[in-house]
Amino acid sequence: MIRPAALLSLLAPLVLVAVVTAAAPRLVNDYAVRVLIVMCINAVLVASMGVANGFTGVFSLGHVGFVAVGAYASGILSLPLAAKHAYLSDLPHWLGSFSLPFLPATIVAGLVCTALAFVVGAPLMRLSGYFVSVATLGFLIIVNVILINAVDYTRGARTFTSVPRETTLPWAVGWLAVTLLVLSRIVYSPYGRRYRAVREDTIAAQAIGISVLPTRLSAFMVGAFFAGVGGSLYGHYLGSFSPASFYMAYTFSLISMLVIGGMQSLTGAVAGVIVVTLASEVLRNLERGIDFGAFSVPPLYGASQIVLGIIFILVMIFRPSGIMGDRELTPGLLYSRKRRPPEEYL
Amino acid sequence: MNMDLYVVQQVINAVSVGSLYALVAIGLSMVFGILRMTNFAHGDMMMVGAFAALVLGAAGLPFWLAALGGIVIAAIAGIVVERVAYRPVRGSPDVTLLLTSLGVTYILENLGILIFTSSPRNFPIPDLMNSSIQFMDGQITFTAINVVTVVLTAVSLSALGWFVTRTDAGLGTRATAEDLGAARLVGLDVNRLIVTAFAIASAFAGLAGVLWAAQAGIVEPDMGFTPLLKAFVAAIIGGFGSIAGALVGGYVLGALEVLIVAFLPSEVSSYRDAIVFAFLIAFLLFRPNGLLNRAQEVKL
Amino acid sequence: MKRTGLFGCGALLAASFGLALTAGSGVAEADSIKIGAPFNVTGSLSSLDAPALNGAKLKAKEINAAGGINGKTIDLVVYDTKTDPTVIASVASQLLNSDKVPVAMGFTDSDSALALGPIFQQAGVPFVTPGATSPKLPEQVGTDMFLACFGDNVQAAAGAEFVLNKLNGKNVYLLRDNSTEYTTLLAKYFDEAFTKGGGAIVGRDDYKSGDKSFTAQITKLKASAQKPDVLYIAAMPDDIGLVVKQMRQAGVTQPIVGGDGYDTPLLLSVGGKAANDVYYSTHAFMAPTGSTDAIAKFYTDYKAAYGTEPENAFAALGYDTVGLIADAIKRAGSEDPAKIRDALAATKGYPGITGSITYPGDSRVPQKTVTMIGVKGDHLTLGAEVTPSWLPAP
Repeated sequence: MIRPAALLSLLAPLVLVAVVTAAAPRLVNDYAVRVLIVMCINAVLVASMGVANGFTGVFSLGHVGFVAVGAYASGILSLPLAAKHAYLSDLPHWLGSFSLPFLPATIVAGLVCTALAFVVGAPLMRLSGYFVSVATLGFLIIVNVILINAVDYTRGARTFTSVPRETTLPWAVGWLAVTLLVLSRIVYSPYGRRYRAVREDTIAAQAIGISVLPTRLSAFMVGAFFAGVGGSLYGHYLGSFSPASFYMAYTFSLISMLVIGGMQSLTGAVAGVIVVTLASEVLRNLERGIDFGAFSVPPLYGASQIVLGIIFILVMIFRPSGIMGDRELTPGLLYSRKRRPPEEYL
Repeated sequence: MNMDLYVVQQVINAVSVGSLYALVAIGLSMVFGILRMTNFAHGDMMMVGAFAALVLGAAGLPFWLAALGGIVIAAIAGIVVERVAYRPVRGSPDVTLLLTSLGVTYILENLGILIFTSSPRNFPIPDLMNSSIQFMDGQITFTAINVVTVVLTAVSLSALGWFVTRTDAGLGTRATAEDLGAARLVGLDVNRLIVTAFAIASAFAGLAGVLWAAQAGIVEPDMGFTPLLKAFVAAIIGGFGSIAGALVGGYVLGALEVLIVAFLPSEVSSYRDAIVFAFLIAFLLFRPNGLLNRAQEVKL
Repeated sequence: MKRTGLFGCGALLAASFGLALTAGSGVAEADSIKIGAPFNVTGSLSSLDAPALNGAKLKAKEINAAGGINGKTIDLVVYDTKTDPTVIASVASQLLNSDKVPVAMGFTDSDSALALGPIFQQAGVPFVTPGATSPKLPEQVGTDMFLACFGDNVQAAAGAEFVLNKLNGKNVYLLRDNSTEYTTLLAKYFDEAFTKGGGAIVGRDDYKSGDKSFTAQITKLKASAQKPDVLYIAAMPDDIGLVVKQMRQAGVTQPIVGGDGYDTPLLLSVGGKAANDVYYSTHAFMAPTGSTDAIAKFYTDYKAAYGTEPENAFAALGYDTVGLIADAIKRAGSEDPAKIRDALAATKGYPGITGSITYPGDSRVPQKTVTMIGVKGDHLTLGAEVTPSWLPAP
């Protein structure tokens, strides 16, 4: 029997989000809508990164490599035929002869990334601690080099352009909802407990029969799927990108969102994205110089990055678990618990 | 084209490049050995050293004095970073340390851009160092800088070797690297030793920065990024945490890079960096303790 | 952290964001015309963008000092886009929705122009780029994208003709940086133009920007069966000094020719004596003496305003772009974006300091002569002014 309260607590947030999504373009200007779209895309990416990095304790620095693969794969698939002939004339015939719509292209990109994660993760997920971080960083670099050199497929270092700009707010919000739903179902399920077990004490986990490698690998693959999805959303938002868009700067940006929000919480991922994005925008506008009438502060470009870096370090020193720590914000919190006298539990 | 001479030329290149990688890798390994921390900000110490030398040189100091000043300033920068950013998080899980160093490198690079703008600047070196030395009718060439690089690397390594085997402070750092808790128990001033290690590591990086800038002819705020990544590979190949390992790893990496570019067709050699990192991953998987460290039990 | 503290911080952040949204460019005077100016002031492209922005600001100040356009002053709305495509897209939107600019200019690279172009195209607001030289840009973006500089196909063709006619080179060795769009395109266009002009490419090789040792490539060059008369090297400003130095040190004495990537003080300062007999195509002969009077005046003014000589030709291009836009606004007689766009497209013979700017026919890539500069000893000389007769297709 589904309790009405439980149903309400599931539907209410969804309806609220849907209403906001529909109303937003009418209420706020295009710039704010853009910021929202970018926040949703980053939230998808940070949440998926959190599955491996936070919940399984395997800190992968290569997540953006999957994002890149997702963007390029979906871009190659969904490029209109005319553009394909103009820009990617050396594609193998079967790729060059069709063009997929947005949704299938995104899903295929996600699947490609999952397969890649299997190939990459099978050897790498044996490693721990800094070993795996450096190894996954190596993966990111390898992806970057391959993208630059596989000129027939990716136009190399040149801008990959004419990707249909289909990521609108409904798409971004929709995919974010799907991502959070799927990830929360996985992570807070009995199978998901294994992630945390493997993170907390690998030896004890093995002692009770949890195989470490398949557990970590599955988290890695799930994370990679949504990284691919996020990459597709990102590519179809910008419309043009190059391998440089998916390298160290983006990696650090996502990591800072993950860490500041809380590595071990899906709400934390969203919270971190919101905080860092808003702070970046505010700082970016502030660093253009402020006019107080009598005196003015001159533009100090680059200061916003330094301030963000300092905030990041302060978080690492004083609150390494981030804003949310490992707590989640669920609708259940909205309901006050009725206090029952202890006798009733007997 | 004489094949033997071609090989000799490439060996010279490998040694020259390998020395720089070794210098940077040594600092990385030292810090990891003591604190179990992967210091991503190490590459920025190269930038600090090179820019400091540039500024001092522009202020009128002779080249060698400006270079020395750069090294000293790099060492000081390393000490400051340790005190401000790393000491507060000492003892935290590996991930926290790694992330803190990522934050530091982000700040340092952007600070460099803010102060110096990201335009690359010319790094002037005395004409004497620029002179090229040629043998065999031009088939073997190298410049005085290459010679200086190798010589300085050898000198500083000997100095470091003397330091860690003959001085109390040096032995102390080795003891701390082996077991921090036990070192504390026997009364070593662990904080001072860690600061010493950071100072030495950053000084090495500063020296590498000056030499790198001399070879490339330019300095720019993100110059430390690529050498840092290469130094990681070198340190891991040789055995992370071991100074001798970093040395060996540096030259192995230099040789590997030169091999790839010189002897493989250009379609393949443009994947050089990918091959190098694939090599790294292979090492991490099959010989994570590197070439020099004894194989220890690998924790899953 | 208590829940109230969390909400408090969140509210503060949201409020500041709202403020940032509405504040836009600060005090907006009714009597000013806004020109959007997004530039990568930080990030990997800042060494090219920052001088362009400085040049732009200089021209805006000059115009305002002379009374402005149609009685109104110019207000350059500057944003730092941090060489980050997401920021570029956000800034584009900010310029259009918050600042409501009728026209904008910026960027010295194609990636950035492509990130911003479609957004402006959709809004029907014209955008002029001072330094993104890909001739494909206007086709890729649409009728609102203009270049103020010649396209790479033009400068490569000019280089090819210079090699054939002035240097009498029939065989060329083509060395290319394969890690950037600009150098890859430049090499491709040169290849086509040179071959069409009757020359032969006797060898091709690649390197990556950031490489410090070119001995492998030099060895292959020296080992090639047919000796080249001239080398054409498509390089970025960071690398050219070192490439040239190592080439000469290894005994490569042939003339070296390239594109506007060589237009940097680093060529002489890093290359030193090795830069002798190096030639390159660029937008203007940037030197305080020996060039045109307009450039000499630009040098003086730039130095007075910023304390340093113009770092590269992009400073002059930024200067010219603002002048070009101001001229178009004056001719349009209005601040309507569509009218400004049409006035831009109709530009004939605008006297820029980087050359005369005309948009022929429907094209939004200007017809400009290419300046070939040569290095003799330790200083720059004017090699030739070339208007190529045949252009490779973009």
